[in-house]
Amino acid sequence: MAMVEARGLTKRYGDQVVVDDLSFEADAGTVTGFLGPNGAGKTTTLRMLLGLVRPTAGTATIGGARYADLPHPVRQVGAMLEDPGTHPGRTARNHLRAHAVAGGIATARVGHVLEAVGLTDAADRRAATFSLGMRQRLGLATALLGDPGVLVLDEPGNGLDPEGVRWLRRLLRDLAAEGRTVLVSSHALAEMAQTVDRVVILDRGVLVAQAALAELTAGTGTRSVLRTPRADDLVAALKADGADVEPLGGDRLAVSGSTPERIAELAASRAVPIVEHTTSSDGLEDAFLRLTRMAARSGAASPVQEDA
Amino acid sequence: MTRTVRAELLKLATIRLPLGLLTAAALLTATIATLRGSQAGGEGHMAIPPVATTDGLTALVASTDMALVLALVLGVVVAAGERQHGTATTTFLATPGRPRVVAAKALVAALAGAAVGLAGAVVSTAIALGFVAADGGDPAIGGDTMARYAAGATLGAALVAAAGVGIGALVREQLDAVMGALVWALIAERLLGGLFEAIAPYLPYTAATTLGGTPLTGTADPLAFALAAILVLVVAAALIAAGAWRTDRSDVT
Repeated sequence: MAMVEARGLTKRYGDQVVVDDLSFEADAGTVTGFLGPNGAGKTTTLRMLLGLVRPTAGTATIGGARYADLPHPVRQVGAMLEDPGTHPGRTARNHLRAHAVAGGIATARVGHVLEAVGLTDAADRRAATFSLGMRQRLGLATALLGDPGVLVLDEPGNGLDPEGVRWLRRLLRDLAAEGRTVLVSSHALAEMAQTVDRVVILDRGVLVAQAALAELTAGTGTRSVLRTPRADDLVAALKADGADVEPLGGDRLAVSGSTPERIAELAASRAVPIVEHTTSSDGLEDAFLRLTRMAARSGAASPVQEDA
Repeated sequence: MTRTVRAELLKLATIRLPLGLLTAAALLTATIATLRGSQAGGEGHMAIPPVATTDGLTALVASTDMALVLALVLGVVVAAGERQHGTATTTFLATPGRPRVVAAKALVAALAGAAVGLAGAVVSTAIALGFVAADGGDPAIGGDTMARYAAGATLGAALVAAAGVGIGALVREQLDAVMGALVWALIAERLLGGLFEAIAPYLPYTAATTLGGTPLTGTADPLAFALAAILVLVVAAALIAAGAWRTDRSDVT
């Protein structure tokens, strides 16, 4: 059974349909990216999942129960929605203490999560003095406070510096590796491509795709940039194999329509040395743009679903 | 419920608002009592009968109006501030039972409001006794009466603070809620009480002020202490219930 499950979730405000008959799942031990353009209905969906917004129709459950029916919600689900929701006049430590008391969590956890997000030195500063990145870290600390098995995070990377983004990526991967369910929304597709196992793509409130990342990006291929002293030999081999090759000048090539593994195989079979090989994450971006454009053209397109 | 009350107490204790309002209540009460005392027996705008008389000393001891106003504001902000600062999401994630949160806030606001009312009562009584001492006579009202007025101001402030939570939970915007509460308490009730003297004792904010000994401006007599307390309690409970219902039905966005 999926840990997070939405079935026919719909939200209307008057005549406006913000989320339309949305069904998706997120499993334990995976990071599921919840992606969509601005105004796609991601935040509304996450708020319905967390019992903050009442669905017009449909159900959203975590571990088989509605959020409001969870016996220990903060210990079962850690959530961070956009702004971390801290009173500007309250210190980070006191914010977490109050959340711990309300959630029935030992206040000893406060110091632990402050350390985990790197805010120990700022723990006794008022939240009003925090940068956006620090507020995001405090939001993550709030989500982690109950050591929950499920994490629902809305744009957690906003405002983080490059080091923070890398730290967040590792954190999410580690949490999933511990068997937790991580559902994370983001606009940063390149970053998501390095973090998530599965994706759920939403556009104008409608499910566009739900699949494993590898499956979704298989059609687009990964873009590789590589350096080889025998570029001509490798170009011929790659083209013969059906890849698109773009010379970038000197000994550098850009390759799409092939995988890094296939490129390495072809180079090895011809004894072509590769001195540098980097991949970019255009795969997810390409898939995202292709799917959302398809959905825009066809109205409510049939969503791409992974094979059962 | 205990957990929710403890969390709300901790939240209120870890911001500057309650101490600021407590200090403001003490200072404003001191200012009003001093002005009244200095003009007692005179003909100024704030003149009251001489402090040697029962009416004069009662008016001085009962200079706790501003404490009640600030207790009302405190209650409103305790509830409406959650939306103002975007903390409602965190609060309702920890406690999905929203009516329970509103009830806990009302209880905590009542405690803080009581402290604000008590501060006002202590300051006004001390200043009144100072004017009596300066006048050289014995107080015209007994210690038990002064204690009852102080208890009444404390209770009245607690009840209006709890009512403020109901208002803050009902009205979505903090500024609208504060302004609405103040306009009702300071303008609407005075106008209604002035136009229809017979209903003045039954107006809830006015009834709360009479608990602390504040006389009515017209000819009507204030309600008996218990009756006034029950009236304000019922109004506060109705506002809290309505606020809890609205909060439970609203989307937290």
